[in-house]
Amino acid sequence: MSMTEKSDTTTRDSAMNVSKGRTFQKEVMGISLLHILLAGMSLMFMLPFLWMLLTSLKTLAEVGLPEWMPASFQWGNYLEVFNVIPFAKFYWNSILIASWVTFLQVFTSSLAAFSFSRLNWPGRDKVFLMYLATMMLPGLVMMIPNYQIMISLGWVDSFIGLIVPASFSAFGTFMMRQFMMTIPTSLDEAAEIDGANKWQLYWDVILPLAKPGLLTLTIFTFMGNYQSFFWPLVMLKSIDKYTLPVGLLFFDSTRGQTTHLLMAGVTMSVLPMVIVFIIMQKQMVKGIQMGAVKG
Amino acid sequence: MLSKKTSNTIAGIAFLSPNILGFLAFTTIPLIFSMILAFSNWDLTLHNMFHDDTIQFVGLKNFIQLFRERDFWKFLGNTLFLMMGAPFAIAGSLIAAILLNKDLKGKKSGIFRIILPGAILFVSCVMLTLVGMGAAALTIVIVGAVGMTLISGILFGQTVYRTLFYLPNFTSGVAVYILWKKLYSPQTGPVNAILEKPVAAVGNIVNATPSWVISAGEWLFLIIGLFILMKVLKSLFNHWKDGDLGTCGLGLSLVFAMMPFFFAILWAPSAAAKFAVPAIATAILVFHLARSLRTRDFPCTTWHGVGTGFMISMISLVPMFMLIGFAAAIANLPVLSADGLQPPEWLSNYDWAKPAIMIMGLWGAIGSNNMLLYLAGLSNVPPELEEAADIDGASPFQKFWNVTWPQLAPITFFIVVMSVIGGLQGGFEMARTMTQGGPWGSTTTLSYFIYNEGFATGRLGYSSAISWVLFIMVFSITMINWKFGSKYVND
Repeated sequence: MSMTEKSDTTTRDSAMNVSKGRTFQKEVMGISLLHILLAGMSLMFMLPFLWMLLTSLKTLAEVGLPEWMPASFQWGNYLEVFNVIPFAKFYWNSILIASWVTFLQVFTSSLAAFSFSRLNWPGRDKVFLMYLATMMLPGLVMMIPNYQIMISLGWVDSFIGLIVPASFSAFGTFMMRQFMMTIPTSLDEAAEIDGANKWQLYWDVILPLAKPGLLTLTIFTFMGNYQSFFWPLVMLKSIDKYTLPVGLLFFDSTRGQTTHLLMAGVTMSVLPMVIVFIIMQKQMVKGIQMGAVKG
Repeated sequence: MLSKKTSNTIAGIAFLSPNILGFLAFTTIPLIFSMILAFSNWDLTLHNMFHDDTIQFVGLKNFIQLFRERDFWKFLGNTLFLMMGAPFAIAGSLIAAILLNKDLKGKKSGIFRIILPGAILFVSCVMLTLVGMGAAALTIVIVGAVGMTLISGILFGQTVYRTLFYLPNFTSGVAVYILWKKLYSPQTGPVNAILEKPVAAVGNIVNATPSWVISAGEWLFLIIGLFILMKVLKSLFNHWKDGDLGTCGLGLSLVFAMMPFFFAILWAPSAAAKFAVPAIATAILVFHLARSLRTRDFPCTTWHGVGTGFMISMISLVPMFMLIGFAAAIANLPVLSADGLQPPEWLSNYDWAKPAIMIMGLWGAIGSNNMLLYLAGLSNVPPELEEAADIDGASPFQKFWNVTWPQLAPITFFIVVMSVIGGLQGGFEMARTMTQGGPWGSTTTLSYFIYNEGFATGRLGYSSAISWVLFIMVFSITMINWKFGSKYVND
């Protein structure tokens, strides 16, 4: 009796072990396959960039060849770009304009968001709805009138004409308001009891707490303006004022055959974005998942 | 001393003032200005320093001219055609999100971390031997890149793959469009260099196949497409009968579901298919309509469940368009490969420029914000639901369809609406950098049309009129979103 019982349990145990081993094997197999699949997909996404990188290191003679690899890496191409077109100027212009726009937009948005989320004034929510509604307006509708306004202000072909119109954003206001709504109102009351005025409440209490939101908005606004194309394209006339996207288009249309140099330029304009994304990805992913990005 | 309410109002307006002044100057005033422009004949070739004709109000003339102009309809068609890439991109985002959301480390991570790199190393070695180790430096670079990705993927999990998937989207802009223009170059680009041999091989195979096999293949795809249509219509009518879907919702969904088969009139390869396919599709529709009309059990309000119906038909659009496309491709193959099949000239070919842009868009749009939204959505699916489905013995597909997908429906609705809004306004940057709207206007979208009229031709009034037509389209989509989206999202 006891013998059979024992053998029974052992067979059951070994059966369980076998099935455990099988599920374990299955799990490892499944995960390995998943990793290989994901790595393969990543390769598909990265191949164009790989070609870009390798082509940027070719000589002009190698550009037309089907081989991806250059015979030897021509790192000098990257310096050559700066001689062929005023690339450093384009870089600087882009960064200057994007920085100004970002600073002004974050500032005005956070002020407006403070007003929409912390201050009670009659008609506040109606005005906010109006702001929301304008987010749905296609920017194209306003382009021609805005350009006429720029002409009458004499701002065409100037940085101020690129910076000022881009500095007021319904979207930034919306995003900051959503963020500020999550800060508890008891803080306001405490600050009021301490005798803080509205500015102090904004500057000393709300802004420091809204830092993650501010950071997210800063990254998105900066990256968006670093890549902005339409408005600089219509506004800028003189080459030394071009931003990177407009400059690259100019590079492509004037010296498009020098693919290796063009690719070096493209690499250099993509690289800052890649670096920013890798460093800031946690905030950015969170921001996007909060619904913080325009469709 | 001011009352608290007054001081609050003053402070509120003071804080708002920088933003609202800019808002008035660069949004409200231009908006009004633009509306006035749309009814004027302001044209820079007529009204400049040499001609001092006064600008006149011409009423609806711009709009009438617009609707009569064949180009407008063509460009609208281009815009809609390019938007057809969106369902593929959304499906891709969803698949990517599902894969990324899987458990990448395993439950027994200790042992797992030793075994997996070994397995992957083995795979890499096999790949290396297969391609002939050391034969090409490029192979080593690629295998090295894949190996690096794998190892960092094992160590850091989801983040690594997510970053690599997301980069094409994040960097997309003029720089990347110029890159793709070079990739597509028929003479020097790598796309055609890679495609050349396989495409030539396909051409040889096609030349060797008898024509009845070709037309059988064509009809096979069309029949599968019709079969899917049948299933979709059945499901729509069942929803309608059960009271999950109102009559208007049903009508709207039917329009979408039937769309591919009426496109078949334009696209369908053979003359027989041109007439037979829409006819069969209509017959299926009539059959379901006739069968359902008398037996409706639970009527609901006419607009109920529009979101659900919309989603069902939108999802079905993807495979149906694909199948019709395959059928057309197969039917056209013999003609194309008569004297050696060659890869297309992509951006410089009238028919291929749009698909080329769509492929590029797909590359950039799979790992997009949509993927991140789906990832967030997937992590919000309650695990109890999945466990319950496991206990009930649901297959992975059943589990996805009945448990995960309904949970993702609000996100999908949001994504679809945003994609439609974005798609209607999109295409300018690609057209400007890659094709100049060509060849022969085949990649000119509405936004490029507006730009061209406003900033190249100088017909400011006309350009404004087009932008208002675009606005009305975007606005109606937004209205649909407001009317049904919130209801749907709050479910």
